[in-house]
Amino acid sequence: MKLQHYLGGLEGLGRINFEKRVFVQPWEKRIFGIHVAMMALSQHLEAAKVTPTQFKSIWTWANLRKLAEGMNPFDYFKYRYYEKWLGGISSFFIESGYISTAELETKTEVFLEKSDTPLPHNTEPAIDNQVIEYLRVGDSPKCKVEDLKPKFSVGDTVTIKNPLPTEHCKLPGYLRNKQGVIETVYEDAYNYPLQTGDGVGDPMPIYSIKFDSHAIWGNLTEPKTWIYADIYEAYIENPN
Amino acid sequence: MSDSSREAYNAARVKALESLLIEKGIITSETVDKVIDFFEKDMGPFNGAKIVAKAWVDPEFKQRLLEDTPAAIAQMNLPRGMAGAEGEHMKAVENTPEVHNLIVCTLCSCYPWPVLGLPPYWFKDPTFRARAIREPRKVLQEFGLDIPESTEVRVWDTSAQIRWFVIPERPAGTEGWTEEQLATIVTPEAMQGAAKVQISQSS
Repeated sequence: MKLQHYLGGLEGLGRINFEKRVFVQPWEKRIFGIHVAMMALSQHLEAAKVTPTQFKSIWTWANLRKLAEGMNPFDYFKYRYYEKWLGGISSFFIESGYISTAELETKTEVFLEKSDTPLPHNTEPAIDNQVIEYLRVGDSPKCKVEDLKPKFSVGDTVTIKNPLPTEHCKLPGYLRNKQGVIETVYEDAYNYPLQTGDGVGDPMPIYSIKFDSHAIWGNLTEPKTWIYADIYEAYIENPN
Repeated sequence: MSDSSREAYNAARVKALESLLIEKGIITSETVDKVIDFFEKDMGPFNGAKIVAKAWVDPEFKQRLLEDTPAAIAQMNLPRGMAGAEGEHMKAVENTPEVHNLIVCTLCSCYPWPVLGLPPYWFKDPTFRARAIREPRKVLQEFGLDIPESTEVRVWDTSAQIRWFVIPERPAGTEGWTEEQLATIVTPEAMQGAAKVQISQSS
Protein backbone atom coordinates (compact mmCIF):
# COMPACT_ATOMS: atom_id res chain seq x y z
CA MET A 1 0.00 0.00 0.00
CA LYS A 2 0.94 3.62 -0.50
CA LEU A 3 0.39 6.23 2.19
CA GLN A 4 -0.55 8.63 -0.64
CA HIS A 5 -3.74 6.62 -1.29
CA TYR A 6 -4.68 6.71 2.39
CA LEU A 7 -4.23 10.42 3.04
CA GLY A 8 -7.94 10.98 3.76
CA GLY A 9 -8.46 10.82 7.54
CA LEU A 10 -4.81 10.71 8.56
CA GLU A 11 -4.43 12.03 12.11
CA GLY A 12 -1.82 14.07 13.93
CA LEU A 13 -1.09 16.53 11.14
CA GLY A 14 -1.87 19.72 13.05
CA ARG A 15 -3.11 22.93 11.55
CA ILE A 16 -3.65 23.63 7.90
CA ASN A 17 -1.56 26.08 5.94
CA PHE A 18 -4.28 28.45 4.75
CA GLU A 19 -2.16 30.08 2.05
CA LYS A 20 -4.46 31.58 -0.57
CA ARG A 21 -1.89 32.11 -3.28
CA VAL A 22 -1.62 29.62 -6.14
CA PHE A 23 2.14 30.00 -6.47
CA VAL A 24 4.35 31.03 -3.56
CA GLN A 25 7.59 31.01 -5.56
CA PRO A 26 7.91 32.51 -9.05
CA TRP A 27 9.54 29.32 -10.37
CA GLU A 28 6.39 27.32 -9.57
CA LYS A 29 4.59 29.05 -12.45
CA ARG A 30 7.25 27.79 -14.85
CA ILE A 31 6.89 24.10 -13.98
CA PHE A 32 3.13 24.45 -14.12
CA GLY A 33 3.45 25.94 -17.63
CA ILE A 34 5.74 23.12 -18.73
CA HIS A 35 3.25 20.52 -17.45
CA VAL A 36 0.37 22.19 -19.34
CA ALA A 37 2.47 22.22 -22.52
CA MET A 38 3.18 18.49 -22.12
CA MET A 39 -0.54 17.78 -21.59
CA ALA A 40 -1.37 19.80 -24.72
CA LEU A 41 1.32 18.13 -26.83
CA SER A 42 0.57 14.60 -25.60
CA GLN A 43 0.60 12.34 -28.61
CA HIS A 44 -2.74 10.70 -27.82
CA LEU A 45 -4.38 13.97 -28.92
CA GLU A 46 -5.09 14.11 -32.67
CA ALA A 47 -4.23 17.82 -32.86
CA ALA A 48 -0.91 17.26 -31.08
CA LYS A 49 0.14 14.58 -33.58
CA VAL A 50 0.28 17.20 -36.34
CA THR A 51 1.88 19.93 -34.21
CA PRO A 52 5.55 20.59 -35.10
CA THR A 53 6.96 19.64 -31.70
CA GLN A 54 9.71 17.16 -30.89
CA PHE A 55 7.59 15.84 -28.01
CA LYS A 56 6.69 12.27 -28.99
CA SER A 57 5.26 10.92 -25.74
CA ILE A 58 1.95 10.58 -24.01
CA TRP A 59 1.60 12.78 -20.95
CA THR A 60 -1.69 12.98 -19.06
CA TRP A 61 -2.76 13.61 -15.46
CA ALA A 62 -2.51 9.88 -14.98
CA ASN A 63 1.22 9.95 -15.77
CA LEU A 64 1.86 12.76 -13.30
CA ARG A 65 -0.25 11.13 -10.59
CA LYS A 66 1.44 7.79 -11.11
CA LEU A 67 4.82 9.44 -10.56
CA ALA A 68 3.63 11.23 -7.40
CA GLU A 69 1.95 8.14 -5.97
CA GLY A 70 4.95 6.01 -6.92
CA MET A 71 7.28 8.12 -4.78
CA ASN A 72 8.68 7.02 -1.47
CA PRO A 73 5.95 8.32 0.87
CA PHE A 74 8.48 10.01 3.15
CA ASP A 75 9.77 11.97 0.17
CA TYR A 76 6.20 12.70 -0.91
CA PHE A 77 5.57 14.58 2.32
CA LYS A 78 9.01 16.16 2.43
CA TYR A 79 8.63 18.03 -0.84
CA ARG A 80 6.21 20.81 -1.59
CA TYR A 81 3.54 20.36 -4.24
CA TYR A 82 5.38 21.87 -7.21
CA GLU A 83 8.72 20.43 -6.05
CA LYS A 84 7.18 17.01 -6.67
CA TRP A 85 6.13 18.15 -10.13
CA LEU A 86 9.61 19.48 -10.87
CA GLY A 87 11.23 16.24 -9.71
CA GLY A 88 8.75 14.00 -11.53
CA ILE A 89 8.76 15.93 -14.81
CA SER A 90 12.57 16.24 -14.87
CA SER A 91 12.94 12.48 -14.33
CA PHE A 92 10.40 11.83 -17.06
CA PHE A 93 12.37 13.84 -19.62
CA ILE A 94 15.63 12.17 -18.58
CA GLU A 95 14.22 8.62 -18.57
CA SER A 96 12.49 9.16 -21.92
CA GLY A 97 15.80 10.25 -23.46
CA TYR A 98 14.90 13.86 -24.30
CA ILE A 99 17.62 15.26 -22.07
CA SER A 100 20.49 13.83 -20.04
CA THR A 101 21.17 14.20 -16.34
CA ALA A 102 24.49 15.85 -17.18
CA GLU A 103 22.81 18.41 -19.45
CA LEU A 104 20.29 19.30 -16.79
CA GLU A 105 22.95 19.62 -14.10
CA THR A 106 25.25 21.74 -16.26
CA LYS A 107 22.40 24.08 -17.19
CA THR A 108 21.23 24.29 -13.58
CA GLU A 109 24.72 25.47 -12.62
CA VAL A 110 24.53 28.16 -15.31
CA PHE A 111 21.26 29.53 -13.92
CA LEU A 112 22.44 29.20 -10.32
CA GLU A 113 25.44 31.32 -11.14
CA LYS A 114 23.55 33.90 -13.18
CA SER A 115 19.80 33.67 -12.67
CA ASP A 116 18.99 36.21 -15.39
CA THR A 117 20.70 34.21 -18.15
CA PRO A 118 18.27 34.51 -21.08
CA LEU A 119 16.36 31.50 -22.35
CA PRO A 120 17.24 30.28 -25.84
CA HIS A 121 15.25 31.62 -28.76
CA ASN A 122 12.86 29.34 -30.61
CA THR A 123 9.67 30.54 -32.25
CA GLU A 124 7.00 28.16 -33.51
CA PRO A 125 3.50 29.64 -33.23
CA ALA A 126 1.87 26.29 -34.08
CA ILE A 127 3.15 24.82 -30.80
CA ASP A 128 1.85 27.71 -28.72
CA ASN A 129 -1.48 27.68 -30.54
CA GLN A 130 -1.96 24.00 -29.77
CA VAL A 131 -1.16 24.58 -26.09
CA ILE A 132 -3.79 27.31 -25.74
CA GLU A 133 -6.28 25.41 -27.90
CA TYR A 134 -5.90 22.38 -25.61
CA LEU A 135 -6.78 24.55 -22.62
CA ARG A 136 -9.93 25.71 -24.38
CA VAL A 137 -11.03 22.32 -25.73
CA GLY A 138 -9.82 19.99 -22.98
CA ASP A 139 -9.63 16.22 -23.23
CA SER A 140 -12.90 14.74 -22.09
CA PRO A 141 -12.67 11.15 -20.83
CA LYS A 142 -16.40 10.66 -21.40
CA CYS A 143 -17.34 8.12 -24.05
CA LYS A 144 -20.23 6.01 -25.25
CA VAL A 145 -19.74 2.26 -25.24
CA GLU A 146 -22.28 0.01 -26.95
CA ASP A 147 -24.15 -2.39 -24.72
CA LEU A 148 -22.56 -0.94 -21.63
CA LYS A 149 -25.16 -0.62 -18.90
CA PRO A 150 -24.42 0.63 -15.40
CA LYS A 151 -24.55 -2.27 -12.93
CA PHE A 152 -26.02 -0.11 -10.15
CA SER A 153 -28.94 2.30 -9.83
CA VAL A 154 -29.74 5.34 -7.71
CA GLY A 155 -30.65 4.23 -4.17
CA ASP A 156 -28.70 0.95 -4.28
CA THR A 157 -26.59 0.19 -1.23
CA VAL A 158 -23.18 -0.90 -2.43
CA THR A 159 -19.86 -2.02 -0.96
CA ILE A 160 -16.54 -0.54 -2.02
CA LYS A 161 -14.08 -3.26 -2.99
CA ASN A 162 -10.64 -3.65 -1.50
CA PRO A 163 -8.39 -4.33 -4.49
CA LEU A 164 -4.65 -4.70 -4.01
CA PRO A 165 -3.27 -1.17 -4.13
CA THR A 166 -0.82 -0.50 -6.92
CA GLU A 167 1.53 2.41 -7.51
CA HIS A 168 -1.39 4.37 -8.94
CA CYS A 169 -4.95 4.13 -7.72
CA LYS A 170 -8.19 6.10 -8.09
CA LEU A 171 -9.82 4.74 -4.93
CA PRO A 172 -9.39 6.79 -1.74
CA GLY A 173 -8.10 4.35 0.88
CA TYR A 174 -10.57 5.34 3.60
CA LEU A 175 -13.48 4.06 1.49
CA ARG A 176 -12.24 0.49 1.15
CA ASN A 177 -14.72 -2.10 2.45
CA LYS A 178 -17.24 0.65 3.32
CA GLN A 179 -20.88 0.74 2.38
CA GLY A 180 -22.59 3.67 0.70
CA VAL A 181 -25.67 4.53 -1.30
CA ILE A 182 -25.65 5.44 -4.98
CA GLU A 183 -26.62 9.10 -5.23
CA THR A 184 -26.05 9.68 -8.96
CA VAL A 185 -25.33 7.45 -11.94
CA TYR A 186 -23.39 9.64 -14.35
CA GLU A 187 -24.34 9.39 -18.01
CA ASP A 188 -22.28 7.19 -20.34
CA ALA A 189 -18.83 5.87 -19.50
CA TYR A 190 -15.52 7.42 -18.53
CA ASN A 191 -12.15 6.43 -19.83
CA TYR A 192 -8.91 6.60 -17.88
CA PRO A 193 -5.66 7.10 -19.78
CA LEU A 194 -3.70 4.43 -17.87
CA GLN A 195 -4.45 0.94 -16.69
CA THR A 196 -3.99 1.40 -12.96
CA GLY A 197 -3.58 -2.33 -12.30
CA ASP A 198 -6.49 -2.42 -9.87
CA GLY A 199 -9.34 -2.35 -12.39
CA VAL A 200 -9.52 1.21 -13.73
CA GLY A 201 -8.48 1.94 -17.31
CA ASP A 202 -11.15 0.79 -19.74
CA PRO A 203 -14.27 2.94 -20.13
CA MET A 204 -16.77 2.29 -17.33
CA PRO A 205 -19.62 4.07 -15.51
CA ILE A 206 -18.91 6.42 -12.62
CA TYR A 207 -21.21 6.95 -9.64
CA SER A 208 -21.55 9.56 -6.96
CA ILE A 209 -21.84 7.57 -3.72
CA LYS A 210 -23.06 8.94 -0.40
CA PHE A 211 -21.40 7.69 2.79
CA ASP A 212 -22.33 8.32 6.40
CA SER A 213 -19.18 9.79 7.88
CA HIS A 214 -19.80 7.78 11.09
CA ALA A 215 -19.81 4.52 9.17
CA ILE A 216 -16.27 5.37 8.10
CA TRP A 217 -14.74 7.13 11.11
CA GLY A 218 -17.03 6.18 13.98
CA ASN A 219 -16.77 8.66 16.85
CA LEU A 220 -13.74 10.32 15.31
CA THR A 221 -15.99 12.33 13.01
CA GLU A 222 -18.63 14.99 13.59
CA PRO A 223 -22.43 15.10 13.79
CA LYS A 224 -24.50 15.49 10.64
CA THR A 225 -21.59 14.92 8.29
CA TRP A 226 -21.84 13.13 4.95
CA ILE A 227 -19.17 12.23 2.44
CA TYR A 228 -19.85 12.06 -1.28
CA ALA A 229 -17.26 10.47 -3.55
CA ASP A 230 -17.16 9.80 -7.28
CA ILE A 231 -16.23 6.15 -7.74
CA TYR A 232 -15.40 4.06 -10.81
CA GLU A 233 -17.58 1.00 -11.28
CA ALA A 234 -14.55 -1.33 -11.05
CA TYR A 235 -14.33 -0.44 -7.35
CA ILE A 236 -17.96 -1.25 -6.51
CA GLU A 237 -19.78 -4.49 -5.67
CA ASN A 238 -23.08 -5.59 -4.20
CA PRO A 239 -23.04 -5.82 -0.39
CA ASN A 240 -22.51 -9.30 1.03
CA MET B 1 19.94 22.93 2.41
CA SER B 2 18.46 26.19 3.74
CA ASP B 3 15.06 27.29 2.49
CA SER B 4 16.49 30.10 0.38
CA SER B 5 19.13 27.94 -1.27
CA ARG B 6 16.51 25.22 -1.80
CA GLU B 7 14.32 27.74 -3.67
CA ALA B 8 17.28 29.14 -5.59
CA TYR B 9 18.16 25.61 -6.68
CA ASN B 10 14.55 24.85 -7.69
CA ALA B 11 14.37 28.10 -9.66
CA ALA B 12 17.62 27.33 -11.49
CA ARG B 13 16.60 23.76 -12.18
CA VAL B 14 13.22 24.67 -13.67
CA LYS B 15 14.89 27.33 -15.85
CA ALA B 16 17.43 24.75 -16.96
CA LEU B 17 14.63 22.34 -17.84
CA GLU B 18 12.64 24.98 -19.73
CA SER B 19 15.79 26.09 -21.54
CA LEU B 20 16.58 22.51 -22.65
CA LEU B 21 12.99 21.89 -23.79
CA ILE B 22 13.19 25.03 -25.94
CA GLU B 23 16.55 23.98 -27.39
CA LYS B 24 15.21 20.51 -28.24
CA GLY B 25 12.18 21.92 -30.06
CA ILE B 26 9.63 20.56 -27.59
CA ILE B 27 8.24 23.96 -26.57
CA THR B 28 9.02 27.52 -27.70
CA SER B 29 10.49 30.51 -25.90
CA GLU B 30 6.94 31.80 -25.49
CA THR B 31 5.01 28.70 -24.44
CA VAL B 32 5.27 28.96 -20.67
CA ASP B 33 4.57 32.71 -20.65
CA LYS B 34 1.50 32.14 -22.81
CA VAL B 35 0.14 29.52 -20.42
CA ILE B 36 0.64 31.82 -17.43
CA ASP B 37 -0.95 34.72 -19.31
CA PHE B 38 -3.96 32.56 -20.17
CA PHE B 39 -4.57 31.77 -16.49
CA GLU B 40 -4.23 35.43 -15.58
CA LYS B 41 -6.67 36.69 -18.23
CA ASP B 42 -9.02 33.98 -19.54
CA MET B 43 -9.46 31.25 -16.96
CA GLY B 44 -9.74 32.07 -13.32
CA PRO B 45 -11.96 32.64 -10.30
CA PHE B 46 -13.34 35.78 -11.98
CA ASN B 47 -15.41 33.44 -14.20
CA GLY B 48 -16.78 31.55 -11.23
CA ALA B 49 -17.61 34.82 -9.46
CA LYS B 50 -19.73 35.92 -12.44
CA ILE B 51 -21.55 32.58 -12.45
CA VAL B 52 -22.29 32.79 -8.73
CA ALA B 53 -23.45 36.41 -8.99
CA LYS B 54 -25.87 35.46 -11.76
CA ALA B 55 -27.15 32.53 -9.72
CA TRP B 56 -27.83 34.90 -6.81
CA VAL B 57 -29.95 37.30 -8.85
CA ASP B 58 -31.64 34.81 -11.18
CA PRO B 59 -33.34 31.83 -9.47
CA GLU B 60 -34.10 30.09 -12.76
CA PHE B 61 -30.46 30.26 -13.75
CA LYS B 62 -29.45 28.92 -10.34
CA GLN B 63 -31.80 25.97 -10.72
CA ARG B 64 -30.35 25.23 -14.14
CA LEU B 65 -26.81 25.56 -12.80
CA LEU B 66 -27.54 22.96 -10.13
CA GLU B 67 -29.28 20.57 -12.51
CA ASP B 68 -27.06 20.90 -15.59
CA THR B 69 -23.98 22.90 -14.74
CA PRO B 70 -22.31 22.93 -18.21
CA ALA B 71 -25.55 23.94 -19.97
CA ALA B 72 -26.09 26.83 -17.57
CA ILE B 73 -22.49 28.02 -17.92
CA ALA B 74 -22.77 27.80 -21.72
CA GLN B 75 -25.64 30.32 -21.53
CA MET B 76 -23.28 32.96 -20.19
CA ASN B 77 -21.06 35.27 -22.13
CA LEU B 78 -17.78 33.88 -20.77
CA PRO B 79 -14.53 33.34 -22.71
CA ARG B 80 -14.42 30.28 -24.97
CA GLY B 81 -13.09 27.30 -23.04
CA MET B 82 -15.48 26.85 -20.14
CA ALA B 83 -15.76 23.17 -21.09
CA GLY B 84 -12.01 22.97 -21.67
CA ALA B 85 -9.17 21.50 -19.65
CA GLU B 86 -10.42 20.41 -16.20
CA GLY B 87 -13.83 21.85 -16.97
CA GLU B 88 -15.04 19.02 -19.17
CA HIS B 89 -17.42 17.79 -16.47
CA MET B 90 -18.37 20.24 -13.75
CA LYS B 91 -21.08 20.17 -11.07
CA ALA B 92 -22.24 22.97 -8.80
CA VAL B 93 -23.67 22.45 -5.30
CA GLU B 94 -25.40 25.10 -3.23
CA ASN B 95 -24.73 26.26 0.32
CA THR B 96 -27.85 27.14 2.33
CA PRO B 97 -28.57 27.62 6.04
CA GLU B 98 -29.43 23.88 6.10
CA VAL B 99 -26.52 22.46 4.08
CA HIS B 100 -22.86 23.42 3.92
CA ASN B 101 -20.75 21.89 1.13
CA LEU B 102 -16.97 21.60 1.18
CA ILE B 103 -14.89 20.31 -1.75
CA VAL B 104 -11.71 18.29 -1.27
CA CYS B 105 -9.58 15.99 -3.41
CA THR B 106 -7.99 13.42 -1.10
CA LEU B 107 -6.01 11.74 -3.88
CA CYS B 108 -4.54 14.71 -5.74
CA SER B 109 -5.67 18.29 -6.41
CA CYS B 110 -8.56 18.15 -8.90
CA TYR B 111 -10.04 21.61 -9.41
CA PRO B 112 -12.37 23.22 -11.99
CA TRP B 113 -9.80 25.36 -13.82
CA PRO B 114 -12.06 27.27 -16.25
CA VAL B 115 -14.30 28.70 -13.54
CA LEU B 116 -11.91 28.79 -10.57
CA GLY B 117 -8.47 28.95 -12.14
CA LEU B 118 -5.69 27.06 -10.40
CA PRO B 119 -6.04 25.69 -6.88
CA PRO B 120 -4.67 27.81 -4.04
CA TYR B 121 -2.05 26.33 -1.76
CA TRP B 122 -4.44 25.31 1.03
CA PHE B 123 -6.45 23.12 -1.34
CA LYS B 124 -3.30 21.14 -2.21
CA ASP B 125 -2.03 21.00 1.38
CA PRO B 126 -1.88 17.32 2.45
CA THR B 127 -3.05 18.38 5.93
CA PHE B 128 -6.20 19.96 4.51
CA ARG B 129 -6.83 16.91 2.31
CA ALA B 130 -6.35 14.52 5.23
CA ARG B 131 -8.46 16.41 7.76
CA ALA B 132 -11.29 17.93 5.71
CA ILE B 133 -12.73 14.51 4.93
CA ARG B 134 -12.97 13.43 8.60
CA GLU B 135 -13.45 16.59 10.67
CA PRO B 136 -14.75 19.27 8.28
CA ARG B 137 -16.38 21.38 11.00
CA LYS B 138 -13.13 21.67 12.92
CA VAL B 139 -11.22 22.46 9.74
CA LEU B 140 -13.76 25.12 8.78
CA GLN B 141 -13.47 26.62 12.26
CA GLU B 142 -9.74 27.03 11.69
CA PHE B 143 -10.64 28.85 8.49
CA GLY B 144 -12.83 31.16 10.59
CA LEU B 145 -16.14 29.57 9.71
CA ASP B 146 -18.52 28.32 12.40
CA ILE B 147 -21.05 25.88 11.01
CA PRO B 148 -24.10 25.60 13.29
CA GLU B 149 -24.82 22.11 14.67
CA SER B 150 -28.16 22.16 12.91
CA THR B 151 -26.50 22.54 9.51
CA GLU B 152 -25.69 19.37 7.60
CA VAL B 153 -22.12 19.20 6.26
CA ARG B 154 -21.48 17.52 2.91
CA VAL B 155 -17.89 16.88 1.92
CA TRP B 156 -17.31 16.10 -1.75
CA ASP B 157 -14.22 14.04 -2.59
CA THR B 158 -13.49 14.63 -6.26
CA SER B 159 -11.99 11.21 -6.79
CA ALA B 160 -12.97 10.63 -10.43
CA GLN B 161 -13.75 12.95 -13.34
CA ILE B 162 -16.26 15.47 -12.05
CA ARG B 163 -14.98 18.86 -10.93
CA TRP B 164 -17.09 20.43 -8.19
CA PHE B 165 -17.66 23.98 -7.03
CA VAL B 166 -19.92 25.65 -4.49
CA ILE B 167 -22.53 28.37 -4.93
CA PRO B 168 -22.01 30.17 -1.61
CA GLU B 169 -24.77 31.92 0.32
CA ARG B 170 -25.48 35.48 -0.73
CA PRO B 171 -24.58 37.76 2.19
CA ALA B 172 -27.23 39.93 3.81
CA GLY B 173 -26.91 43.60 2.98
CA THR B 174 -26.42 43.07 -0.75
CA GLU B 175 -30.04 43.67 -1.70
CA GLY B 176 -30.25 45.73 -4.85
CA TRP B 177 -26.63 45.11 -5.85
CA THR B 178 -25.92 44.51 -9.53
CA GLU B 179 -24.39 41.26 -10.78
CA GLU B 180 -21.12 43.12 -11.40
CA GLN B 181 -21.03 44.39 -7.81
CA LEU B 182 -21.87 40.96 -6.43
CA ALA B 183 -19.14 39.29 -8.48
CA THR B 184 -16.50 41.46 -6.79
CA ILE B 185 -17.10 39.86 -3.38
CA VAL B 186 -17.04 36.16 -4.39
CA THR B 187 -13.74 34.49 -3.48
CA PRO B 188 -12.21 31.18 -4.61
CA GLU B 189 -12.37 30.03 -0.97
CA ALA B 190 -16.14 30.65 -0.87
CA MET B 191 -16.56 28.69 -4.11
CA GLN B 192 -14.89 25.67 -2.50
CA GLY B 193 -16.88 25.95 0.73
CA ALA B 194 -13.96 27.06 2.91
CA ALA B 195 -15.23 30.59 3.50
CA LYS B 196 -18.40 32.64 3.51
CA VAL B 197 -18.79 35.61 1.25
CA GLN B 198 -18.22 38.82 3.22
CA ILE B 199 -19.24 42.29 2.17
CA SER B 200 -16.14 43.80 3.78
CA GLN B 201 -13.95 41.98 1.26
CA SER B 202 -15.24 44.23 -1.51
CA SER B 203 -13.36 47.36 -0.44
